[in-house]
Amino acid sequence: MIITEEIKISDNGFVFNSRTGDSFNLNPFGLNIIKLIAEKKEFEQIKEKVLDEYDISDLTFEKDFYEFCALLKHHQIILQDNPLEFK
Amino acid sequence: MEKLIYEKPVISKINAGMPSKFGLPVKQKIISEIDGLAISDLMEKFGSPVFVFSEKTIRETYSEAKRAFETRYPKVQFAWSYKTNYLDAICSIFHEEGSWAEVVSGFEFNKALSLGVNGSQILFNGPEKSEADLTLAIENNASIHIDHFDELYLLIETARKLNKKARVSIRINLDAGIYPIWDRFGFNYENGEAWNAINRIMLADNLELIGLHTHIGTYIMVGSAYAIAASKLANLYVAIHRKFDYWLKYIDLGGGFASKNTLKGAYMPGTETCPSFDDYAEAITNALISSEIPHENLPLLFLETGRAMIDDAGYLLTTTLANKRLNNGKNSLVIDAGVNLLFTSFWYNLGIFPSKETSSFTEETTIYGPLCMNIDVIRDTIVFPQIKVGDQLVIERVGAYNVSQWMQFINYRPNVVLIDLEGKTHIIRKRENLETFKSLEFNPKL
Ligand SMILES: Cc1ncc(COP(=O)(O)O)c(C=O)c1O
Repeated sequence: MIITEEIKISDNGFVFNSRTGDSFNLNPFGLNIIKLIAEKKEFEQIKEKVLDEYDISDLTFEKDFYEFCALLKHHQIILQDNPLEFK
Repeated sequence: MEKLIYEKPVISKINAGMPSKFGLPVKQKIISEIDGLAISDLMEKFGSPVFVFSEKTIRETYSEAKRAFETRYPKVQFAWSYKTNYLDAICSIFHEEGSWAEVVSGFEFNKALSLGVNGSQILFNGPEKSEADLTLAIENNASIHIDHFDELYLLIETARKLNKKARVSIRINLDAGIYPIWDRFGFNYENGEAWNAINRIMLADNLELIGLHTHIGTYIMVGSAYAIAASKLANLYVAIHRKFDYWLKYIDLGGGFASKNTLKGAYMPGTETCPSFDDYAEAITNALISSEIPHENLPLLFLETGRAMIDDAGYLLTTTLANKRLNNGKNSLVIDAGVNLLFTSFWYNLGIFPSKETSSFTEETTIYGPLCMNIDVIRDTIVFPQIKVGDQLVIERVGAYNVSQWMQFINYRPNVVLIDLEGKTHIIRKRENLETFKSLEFNPKL
């Protein structure tokens, strides 16, 4: 997962996409996760870290994580693969 | 090491120029208990979804309405509008408080009789009265509110057959500045139809005209409309005396007071815009007292207040079944109560609240019921905190028209529970089961 170049993320959770002109708010945990994604961490690594620190089950986090990624793709913050390539 | 409290990751778009509470930490209202009983305990005991009624709220609301009118006018009588909520236990509370019964069908009439209401304290409204219904009403000395000429003639014929006198009133429709005018019910004031009907009734030996009735509509947000209606009925009241030297007994202004629910499309919440009982009472009683009716002949004033009397006392407790992202990125929830249980969700943006503390991060959310149909939307857009599967939610102000207009569809209709004044719970209508249906069906193939 790659965050596109045009994205600027501030430390208080404000996100600006200079290509589309859209801006966004992240909740604090959303900000944590997007930072990990920006560091090119894979899902398994992120999950391990989260389960270590937070009171949450692995399946709930997995569902929430992929829902979050779908939102990031929807807002063109991370690159979308062609969904019909069924990779 | 103690683990941190988890909140799922969310990103939400900021819509420039559009004022929105999106993403801002607003203090979320929570309903964790009803009359001191925890939502989680109620749901553990009575299942989900479940309707819960507060006897305390019913009685308090009734007292408030009664006080508003009785402090301004000498003779006031409420009649409980059965169609609004005709569960026996609910009707009995209103009757204990002193309400008469306002019914619109043979079924409702018989229900009132079965609860011990004296027939002479039943107001029989509506366009649907069969000969059998009219016979029942005449035999029980009820006040029959005539809706149209066909009914008037059927009534004359029925009373003749029984060789009894029927006590009647007529339903009048009028222009009170509320549109559309509900002119499909009753006789029109402005075009003289009501006056014609009154004259015909006064000629009939076996009909005794005792009152005038109107119901100008529902969720009326201005007291002044009632003032207009009351003055028009007062004009007829005086005209009848002038022509027939006879004072009627009552004027019935029907129902229609708004409840604190918020209408769809309304800019302000209903809690801000809904007139109080005092506002309505002031408008109505002023109009009657300042009319041409002499003080000693002022009529008994009937009110058939429905939704404003019971909406606040009813809650629907429901459980979150799923969290879903829609294709446009919008958040949505699926809950276990559908529009079939919440008829009023078609015209109100019902208030839905978590039953326990939530995260402060909110986003625009659609709340769906569980029916396999696209129309099953309880709230199209509500700014809502994060809700997990299994979380219990409370829908407030659902006391009126839901447990009478609900439809059985796909699943059983749920328990309805009453919390009495001592905080004890009672099932007042049992959850349906397979047997409920089997007992009504006949299968020629088996
Ligand atoms: C004749 C009559 N009376 C009273 C009511 C109760 O009205 P509301 O619930 O608006 O007070 C109705 C409702 O339709 C009605 O038709």
